[in-house]
Amino acid sequence: MYWYEEGEPDGRFIGNTKKYSIYGSHYNSSIEPIHEKSAERKPEEFIFAYGPSTGGLMESVGLDILTPGEKITSISVDPNYKLRKIKVTGMSIEDALLRIERINGFHSASHSICFLRAVEDAIQIDVPDEVQLNRIAQIETERIRSHLLVIQKLAESAGFGVPVNQLSLIREKVSRIIGTQSGHRYFFAVNSVGNSRFMMDKLQEKLHEVIVDFRKIYDGLMESKLFLNRLQNNGINKDPESTGPAARGSNIRHDARNELPVLPYDLLDYFPIIRDEGDAFSRFMIRSDEIFQSFDIIKKINATAGSESMDYDLEKSSGTGMARIESPSGDLFYSVEIEKGNVVDIGMISPSWRNVLSFRKSMEGNIFTDFHFNWESFGIWISELGVDLS
Amino acid sequence: MKNGIWFLKGVRKGVKTEKFPKTGPVEIAPWSTEIKGSGEANCPTDAITNGKWDMTKCIFCRRCFPNYEPTGNHEIFTVSEKMHQFRRSFYIYPLDSGACGACNTELHALTAPQYDMHRLGIFFTNTPRHADAIVVMGVWTKGMEEPLKRAYDAMSDPKMVILMGACAISGGIMGEGALKSGEYNVEIGGCPPNPYTILAALLRARGD
Repeated sequence: MYWYEEGEPDGRFIGNTKKYSIYGSHYNSSIEPIHEKSAERKPEEFIFAYGPSTGGLMESVGLDILTPGEKITSISVDPNYKLRKIKVTGMSIEDALLRIERINGFHSASHSICFLRAVEDAIQIDVPDEVQLNRIAQIETERIRSHLLVIQKLAESAGFGVPVNQLSLIREKVSRIIGTQSGHRYFFAVNSVGNSRFMMDKLQEKLHEVIVDFRKIYDGLMESKLFLNRLQNNGINKDPESTGPAARGSNIRHDARNELPVLPYDLLDYFPIIRDEGDAFSRFMIRSDEIFQSFDIIKKINATAGSESMDYDLEKSSGTGMARIESPSGDLFYSVEIEKGNVVDIGMISPSWRNVLSFRKSMEGNIFTDFHFNWESFGIWISELGVDLS
Repeated sequence: MKNGIWFLKGVRKGVKTEKFPKTGPVEIAPWSTEIKGSGEANCPTDAITNGKWDMTKCIFCRRCFPNYEPTGNHEIFTVSEKMHQFRRSFYIYPLDSGACGACNTELHALTAPQYDMHRLGIFFTNTPRHADAIVVMGVWTKGMEEPLKRAYDAMSDPKMVILMGACAISGGIMGEGALKSGEYNVEIGGCPPNPYTILAALLRARGD
């Protein structure tokens, strides 16, 4: 394995697969216990059940909110109402990939590329930089769309109709750009071992229009005190192990893009954006700044990147591999064991797992009207939580 | 900025809504439209048998390419029963039975100015009690079986059940379909269905 080695727990804790505890660049077979604090219910408190199916949430999830009335004492999140059992072991790499792409459809590029990097690590394929840069362009385009959705949901929570519609307009433009460049609006069937089908031609100029529009919306939101007041001091995150924009908004420099060379971000002079407030406003700011930054990254990638197509003999390939990348919501990790071209073991750690833990901690002591702002600001996807790959 | 400025910003932006369905789709991703061709398909979901394409099973994985290609026809849906009562006002309740998130965001995209489903009298509702139709997305999951049944029971008559996407209809490549044959009125093909397809299906379902 190129990026991970077995060793004592070292560096920050990423999470557990069924077989290993995963750290910054080590894995260990003694599983780290996860301590989740459960609040004691006082006589004046009751549980307000929200979900699993409600129009206020994009996905099905069960939320039990312990409250004496307005203040939220604690909140528990049950992602398993829509638990999907997805069997990928025993399948060829290509068949497994069809299912991996659909673990979180909205972050499909991140999931498929991370899985493929783990596979390529296992079977020791040296993928050309051109293809890797093309994959970075996919992930950064996906990040732009994902962050736009989160900001749209924040504006929606504040009842700001005009920015909601304008953000929705440009999010749809990004979906159409992805559809034109790859043939599919969610990057399905775009990536394969050592290859990519994402066209870079005219990508920069198409995204430029989106970024110009976003700048105007962002400037307007930054001058809207009603919007900013709803985010500031809401859901302060102090979790030292948090991930993604939630970490970087809390002055925690966690970013797989400059921690592991799984993808060649070093060729693009990447640096993480950090803020120190830790609240929903900070997470909004990180996401806004990352939209501009992702576009700058894409501008640095050559328009011909990824145009070559190579064939690899997968049927005789065997090995074990691990990879971690920075999805729009944070650390995404895959481990795979390949035997004669078939997946015989797989492990996955999603950023939403850590984000739910951080969300729960940050919600304690807030009030009901803060809930939607805080929930949306973490960018949690239940689809990548309620999934069983065994 | 005073908040009233947002109104002016909105007006200055102009009308961005497309003329669909009076005119065809402005821009559509090819691998979300009808597939046609002949020869070997190498289909992982048996969506192509004897040269015939079944939109209820297709996950648009492109393994059939180049023998089979997308035609650009977005009308990949079936409506077994039209309900004209909903022509002026059609409230839909989305229910995620086990979706990957792609169907969820494509359905959500119908409120984008390009489509603006509200101009056509179609609205989301946050409760099944106010819903004319329930839109089910994703594969069958044990945990969502009861919420789906309760949501359906909470709806008043007449009511409609719409299955959206290959997962909900046939299970696609991820599992079993959300409902059995005969338990729904509309099937919308796609993985995920394109917003144009969803909008066209909703309009057809209410008799347009």
